[in-house]
Amino acid sequence: MNLRRDKKDEEDGGSSNPFQGLEKSMVIQEARSFNDTPIVPRKCCHILTKVMYVLNQGEQFGTLEATETFFAMTKLFQSNDSMLRRMVYLLIKEMADIADDVIIVTSSLTKDMTGKEDLYRAAAIRALCKITDSTMLQAIERFMKQAIVDKVPSVSSAALASSLHLMKQNPDVVRRWVNEVQEAASSDNIMVQYHALGLLHHVRKNDSIAVSKMVSKYTKGGLKSPYATCLLIRISAKLLEKEEYRDSSPLIDFIESCLRHKSEMVIYEAAHAIVNMKDTTARELAPAVSVLQLFLSSPKPTLRFAATKTLNKVAMTHPAAVTACNLDLENLITDVNRSIATLAITTLLKTGSESSIDRLMKQIGTFMSDISDEFKVVVVDAVSSLCSKFPRKYSVMMNFLASMLRDDGGYEYKKAIVNSLVGIIEENPEAKEAGLSHLCEFIEDCEHTSLATRILHLLGQEGPRTPKPAKYIRFIYNRVILENAAIRAAAVSSLAKFGAHCEPLLPSIMVLLERSLLDSDDEVRDRATFYLNILKQNQKALNSAYILNGLAVSVVGLERALHHYTIEPSEQPFDIKTVPLDTQPFAEHKVTSDVSPAARPAEKAAPPTQEIYAEQLAAVPEFAHIGPLFKSSKPVELTESETEYIVRCIKHTFPKHVVFQFDCTNTLNDQQLEEVYVQMESAEGLEVETVVPAPILKYNQPGTTYTLVQLPDDNTEVASVFSNTLKYSVKDCDPNTGEPDEEGYEDEYVRVMKPNFMASWEEIGEDNELEETFALSTKTLEEAIQNIVNFLGMQPCERSDKVPEGKSSHSLFLAGVFRGGVDVLVKARLALQDTVKMQITVRSTDPEISELITSAVG
Amino acid sequence: MGSILGVNKKQAQILCVGLDNSGKTTIINKLKPKETQAEDIVPTIGFTVEKFKSSAVNFTVFDMSGQGKYRNLWEHYYKDAEGIIFVLDSSDKLRMVVAKEELDLLLQHAEIKAKKIPILFFANKMDLRDSLSSVKCSQMLELEKVKDKPWHICSSNALTQEGLHEGVQWLTDQLTSHP
Ligand SMILES: Nc1nc2c(ncn2[C@@H]2O[C@H](COP(=O)(O)OP(=O)(O)OP(=O)(O)O)[C@@H](O)[C@H]2O)c(=O)[nH]1
Ligand SMILES: [Mg+2]
Repeated sequence: MNLRRDKKDEEDGGSSNPFQGLEKSMVIQEARSFNDTPIVPRKCCHILTKVMYVLNQGEQFGTLEATETFFAMTKLFQSNDSMLRRMVYLLIKEMADIADDVIIVTSSLTKDMTGKEDLYRAAAIRALCKITDSTMLQAIERFMKQAIVDKVPSVSSAALASSLHLMKQNPDVVRRWVNEVQEAASSDNIMVQYHALGLLHHVRKNDSIAVSKMVSKYTKGGLKSPYATCLLIRISAKLLEKEEYRDSSPLIDFIESCLRHKSEMVIYEAAHAIVNMKDTTARELAPAVSVLQLFLSSPKPTLRFAATKTLNKVAMTHPAAVTACNLDLENLITDVNRSIATLAITTLLKTGSESSIDRLMKQIGTFMSDISDEFKVVVVDAVSSLCSKFPRKYSVMMNFLASMLRDDGGYEYKKAIVNSLVGIIEENPEAKEAGLSHLCEFIEDCEHTSLATRILHLLGQEGPRTPKPAKYIRFIYNRVILENAAIRAAAVSSLAKFGAHCEPLLPSIMVLLERSLLDSDDEVRDRATFYLNILKQNQKALNSAYILNGLAVSVVGLERALHHYTIEPSEQPFDIKTVPLDTQPFAEHKVTSDVSPAARPAEKAAPPTQEIYAEQLAAVPEFAHIGPLFKSSKPVELTESETEYIVRCIKHTFPKHVVFQFDCTNTLNDQQLEEVYVQMESAEGLEVETVVPAPILKYNQPGTTYTLVQLPDDNTEVASVFSNTLKYSVKDCDPNTGEPDEEGYEDEYVRVMKPNFMASWEEIGEDNELEETFALSTKTLEEAIQNIVNFLGMQPCERSDKVPEGKSSHSLFLAGVFRGGVDVLVKARLALQDTVKMQITVRSTDPEISELITSAVG
Repeated sequence: MGSILGVNKKQAQILCVGLDNSGKTTIINKLKPKETQAEDIVPTIGFTVEKFKSSAVNFTVFDMSGQGKYRNLWEHYYKDAEGIIFVLDSSDKLRMVVAKEELDLLLQHAEIKAKKIPILFFANKMDLRDSLSSVKCSQMLELEKVKDKPWHICSSNALTQEGLHEGVQWLTDQLTSHP
């Protein structure tokens, strides 16, 4: 009977919890009974537990309620029941910050901490330090000093650890106790010594010379506690980070000597420290790896686990160093502890040869269902990094990933697998079709909306360009029939892409889309209607602009622009070109073998800095007439780091203007600058229209001045050099400093991604096409591509910046949007014969700009 | 359970108040059994709970701190008090008016006013030169006006325990005569 109830409770999700559903007001009511005499300890303990439970459930207590309960609780000091007293200490700590006048228990706690009952003393110290504020600290200082050197270890440890907490608010008082702390550091008790060393380090943390002295004193000996030794290793490793030549440092000798310590904990800590040092050399690594290797065959699972986990990390950076352990790792594949086994296998996957992969994958497949999601993700990461290392093995890995996709698992796990599959598809064209099929199969039974929509998007992008696009339609259309609104909408978009790209499929796609015109969801209906109407036009340009490549605007920017338009309606229709573009980051996040795809930065959530600038600039009345912000550059330091004034420049490009924003900081504490501005002179005669000075520049308080420059109508003349002089008035002197600043023209356009480059290429058409051939001085295609991308600052599309192995010719596709919202596309055909020859074709909607780009390359 | 005496003895909760430095903690400490007495006494912050026994009563005393900023916290402990010990520093003539003010506030407090509980005054530090007699103290506090509660004042020297026994005996009698 009882058993059955337990089972049921478990299924209900823990209704066996006796405190479930406690009401705060009821608990407060019950706590009033603390005032009753005589005190019944058992009953009061139970009520205290309830208060604690309610507090920890996140219930907010008002100050009045909390204070009432707190004072009622103070009556419990009458009882000498030790269980009850210790509960009281706990609750004092919980309520220290929410009740008033909590210092009321100070004397009661100091009495307990100095009393004869050892059971009370440590806990009383912890509670006392929690309720003490800086004004009261003086009063308990004497007791704290005594407690730190108390001969009862638990008392001393509690005092040391509590002092560490007091450091946060009252570092100066705690510093006065350093003699006592030092005395505690020579204690025979392992915990006391550990806590004392920790506190000593904290006290001196900001004084690097004192830390070095302390470390050098203790590395020479005197520490009996393995915990303290571990801490000393950590501190030493931190200090080493700052040293330029660690070879000659006594610290490295100390850490290495700890590899021969008698405590396993210390040995491990030393090995861990060495492994994690910056740029460890093979020579430094070898002794650390060999102690870890010994741990691999330890009977203690914790040691085996720690060693495997650490070696797993080493294998990412120094696979060769770990190969020596391969035999021991092989033995761990069958370890009863699945976590150890998983780490062993994934380590082997990193160090092993191509030939061992099949065997290892089979091994790991046998117990995938036994390990937790967290470790499954480790496996996924290992597998996907293998894929980039051995692209030829993709089918083994892909089948493996696909089978994992079919198994049970949480969102994070499934996301990691999908990320890996997508990564493989993107990197390896051969894997594309197989990969897409696996993903199709997955979305047939996928409970995670965000994964399903992501895959549908990918299918829409890649599917139409495969040899047999028709086979994906069924999978996608099934989603329209079976899934929730968000997925249906994604599926509709995906279908439209097939229709736009594949002529033969168009009629059937139209039929399918028509069925969604009656969908119950607005978004799905709207999308279907929109796409159908575009597709009916049957124009390549429309398909490209509205279906295949879509809008490349920043969503936050679009929202702002529309909002603005609705407040100030104008005669003119809303111009989408005034919306800032969703720029591509300059550095592509490459998936290297040791960064898991799951670790790639998530979609940006915060508004980009450009939005912040736009807001700031809009607030300057002088700039009211210059229109919407097109692009802001990265800040450039104009001054050397050690100068009296620090000036950073940010360039904001507008349709016909450029605003230079100078962020200035005055680093002289004896001067105040006034009317600060930057005088700009352009060699090419560009005209400065307005200057907005910073009225006052106080010491260390940044100020901003703007300079507005009008651009010439003629777009071709955009490269210019300015010389800048910082002007300001000081009371007694008027020195000037000037630094020239070079301006390239690269900031004139932003990178945009064209997921379907060829469609855009057709869309722009050959009206303004220019073609030119160049001989480059580079020796490899990769290098040439890198140079061109950096030079033009445009976005490579369709991963065309990646050259497949062993190819001697390649096509690179670049896209960008020029100031004023003009699309620019560049197709560069490269061929390698000794050096690289390049034929570049530029298309844009404006002939001048085509010319500008072409001439820029030459 | 074993102690028949303990079971039969009356339990009483007492509140000990008075200005800072008047000797409250010292007095209570001296009343405790020898082995539980504290060696050094420091100004109280908040309160402590102490226990001692007289011939017929087991006392639980809340020894409050007398510093100005903590006096407003006394009232949290009025409700359950079955008796009050009010300690005066009989050598501190200057602050006798402050002591009177605090006493008046105490007597007017709703929780105290309603109860007919005994108040024991110690005119402490009688050993010091210039200390006031108990009669003089009671005049300065206008104790004759306290009509609704039994009270008693005795001179004491907490250091030598002189007068302490007399006071506690009076309190014991008061607590046992009205069951
Ligand atoms: N000469 C003399 N000194 C006394 C006597 N009683 C107490 N003292 C001293 O007076 C000082 C204050 O005594 P405490 O017991 O701490 O006074 P308190 O009333 O508890 O003070 P707070 O806790 O701050 O409210 C101490 O130095 C005592 O030694 C006494 O009868 N005669
Ligand atoms: Mg006191």
